[in-house]
Amino acid sequence: MDRRTFLKSTGAAALLAPVLVQELLAAPAGPVVAVAEGRDYPAITRRVITAVGGMGRYVKPGDTVVVKPNIGWDRSPEQAANTHPAVVRAVVEECLAAGAKRVKVFDYTCNDPRRCYLNSGIEQALKGLKKVECKQIEMERFKMIALNGQFLKEWELYDEALAADVFINLPIAKHHGLSRLTLGLKNIMGVMGGNRGFTHRNLATALADVNSRLKSHLTIIDATRILTAHGPQGGNLADVKVLNTVIASADIVAADAYATTLFGLKPADIAVTVAAHKRGLGEMDLKRIRVVRV
Amino acid sequence: MCFLKKTTARISQLLFLALFLLLFIQTEYRGHDQINAAVNAFFRADPLVLVSYLLAAKTWSWLLLPALLMILATLLLGRFFCGWICPLGTLLDLLTPKQRSTRPITWLSGNMKYWLLLPLLFASLFNLNLAGLLDPIAILLRGLTFFLYPLMGLTAREGWVELYSLIGEQRDAIAPAYNLLKQYLLPFRETLYPLSFFSAALLIGIILLERLETRAWCRHLCPLGTLLGWLGRFSPFKRLPVGLCADCGQCRALCPTTFDQGVLNREECILCMECQQGCPHQRISFRPSSKLQPAGPLLPQRRLLLGGMAGGLLLAVPARFRQPEQVWPLRPPGVQDENAFLKKCVRCGECMKVCLKNALYPAAWQSGWEGLYTPLVIPRLGYCEYNCTLCGQVCPTGAIPNLAVEQKKREVIGKAVFDRDHCLPFARKMDCIVCEEHCPIPEKAIRSREVQVLGLDGVMTTVKEPYIVEEICNGCGICEYVCPVETRAGIRVYGVKDRRPIKQAVSGQLLHQIEKLPY
Repeated sequence: MDRRTFLKSTGAAALLAPVLVQELLAAPAGPVVAVAEGRDYPAITRRVITAVGGMGRYVKPGDTVVVKPNIGWDRSPEQAANTHPAVVRAVVEECLAAGAKRVKVFDYTCNDPRRCYLNSGIEQALKGLKKVECKQIEMERFKMIALNGQFLKEWELYDEALAADVFINLPIAKHHGLSRLTLGLKNIMGVMGGNRGFTHRNLATALADVNSRLKSHLTIIDATRILTAHGPQGGNLADVKVLNTVIASADIVAADAYATTLFGLKPADIAVTVAAHKRGLGEMDLKRIRVVRV
Repeated sequence: MCFLKKTTARISQLLFLALFLLLFIQTEYRGHDQINAAVNAFFRADPLVLVSYLLAAKTWSWLLLPALLMILATLLLGRFFCGWICPLGTLLDLLTPKQRSTRPITWLSGNMKYWLLLPLLFASLFNLNLAGLLDPIAILLRGLTFFLYPLMGLTAREGWVELYSLIGEQRDAIAPAYNLLKQYLLPFRETLYPLSFFSAALLIGIILLERLETRAWCRHLCPLGTLLGWLGRFSPFKRLPVGLCADCGQCRALCPTTFDQGVLNREECILCMECQQGCPHQRISFRPSSKLQPAGPLLPQRRLLLGGMAGGLLLAVPARFRQPEQVWPLRPPGVQDENAFLKKCVRCGECMKVCLKNALYPAAWQSGWEGLYTPLVIPRLGYCEYNCTLCGQVCPTGAIPNLAVEQKKREVIGKAVFDRDHCLPFARKMDCIVCEEHCPIPEKAIRSREVQVLGLDGVMTTVKEPYIVEEICNGCGICEYVCPVETRAGIRVYGVKDRRPIKQAVSGQLLHQIEKLPY
């Protein structure tokens, strides 16, 4: 290939794929956070995925994908304690469309797993999808993993999350008594076994330790409705605010940082976000994050 | 008893045993908030449960209507329950060796059965309902619930786990088969229970008695059988001829219960129809007749009655003693009055079987001797799931009331109390509040506030200290369950006398009041 043809093809590619150029230009300006608003939750979920490069950028044909929503509580979708089932389904469908061999959806619940899977609506939403499994946690699958972190030297993590080709973090944005908010970084607790409450004594550092080991390739935050108080479990609809918003980013810290603003808080208010940023897990400076509204 | 001949009575026995086992398996959360058919059906049709309930609670319960119908049927037909329905009786028949020896156990015969039944009934009259301890269906159910079912579940689970350590992820290939078993047959969670050995031993003991004499338990001990036998003597139906025929005497070998003395004792005839089926001369019939059939005296001797009463008092009064910490035990949700509860509880173990998070365990000594086998919440082992109402649904007598979910959420089991020597923010000046995170009350009965404290390193530090809003704590125990401190939790649920439901929490009004509380 001589220089002329090279230039020609590059130019053509540039013309044909403006998005690519956009991203190249944006790269030094920091990570992209896509935000979509609308009442059609599957549609806004698809829009943010497209805006961060499309699912094909993360999931390659034949990949095994873990989608980790929050299914922690025996609460109904409108109570805003678990990820919205319509959002979960849209994400799973996008993975399948990108050619995933298998999509696994699970969470280590706080309430009885049967009730959580059922009443969150997630089990039902995924019913009938081929190549998709929505299984409860099996304790024997937790494996002790060396983290060599600042607080956690080792911890039990779920083998299916570790073995997956792609890990998609799919939290709901909500209030939390200790960490103030629970978002993507905190959602990782759902693949942790053992005495999880132990981590509360140094939660921010512990979560940075685990997120350093188990990276989220894509973080999609469900803010279709958020829980503003009495989280993470809620139960009172007066604490629920409907925002009809979904957020996505390949940068988990950036996604969390942006989601923080929905609660009228600053990223620096959330110790978990700060610790992860310091650990080099992503960008929390809103000025350096490129927010794309789609 | 020979099960090769499929007579109506044998088929009935098998069907009822199958029904019992099916209902037993159904007595578990299988994806529905309501359990429509549970094994409580057998207790609701159990005359011993009804009679002891009436004597103790001294009220009527429509839940027990089937038992009243069973009494009427027994008055009409005789003691057919034991030969046609009783799952324990069927189990004994199935396990009877073919070469059975029918030598009667002399030390058990006679008045022994009354010495069991009468003290139980008198104790009920004196407000202590112990009938469930010796009720045959309760004995069977407890043996299954506390011993056999967990054993079965554990065996399956450990095999499944072992398979994972052998072949890892490849196990997924056969997961659908295991899941099917899990969904329809196995317990969701294998629980180890206290008294499991004792429950199994009682059941096995009864089965072993069968080696010495067929239906030994039914003839000589079973208080339900004794009661039914007594009722059955009023039946107009008689077996004719009433005794052994001079030229044959086959009945003696055919009868599983009563012909060892040469006459048919009505109270012990379980209408199994074996003699009719096996009679070489087709002489035997069961039909209304005015012929006298030998039976014991209508009322047991005065000595027995008085002895039974004394026994009842002896059971009811000294058993009452409780240590101070046993006075207000943690009972299932909706139980407000400890004494009323003890009068109604059958100790059948169904609530413990069905409990979603295995919060309920049989009391061994924790609520005094009178509380043996009654359900206790042990929050460190399992908590009461906020949206679950299953225990009230399966309780056969309403000792645990069947409540709508909104009502049940407000029922008070106890109140949570911090143990500041264990609770991390107090004891070690570090953040934790896992309890607040899990508290299911929408307004949070456990809250926290930031305080400046002198850390253990001598440096002032900010810690989130939890506190309890007692007015809205329902004592579900999830805080104690999840407390990350090892062994003894930093927060514990204590029994309280005043178990009136917490105020309506849905209106938002309560929230407003709580915010104004001086915490």
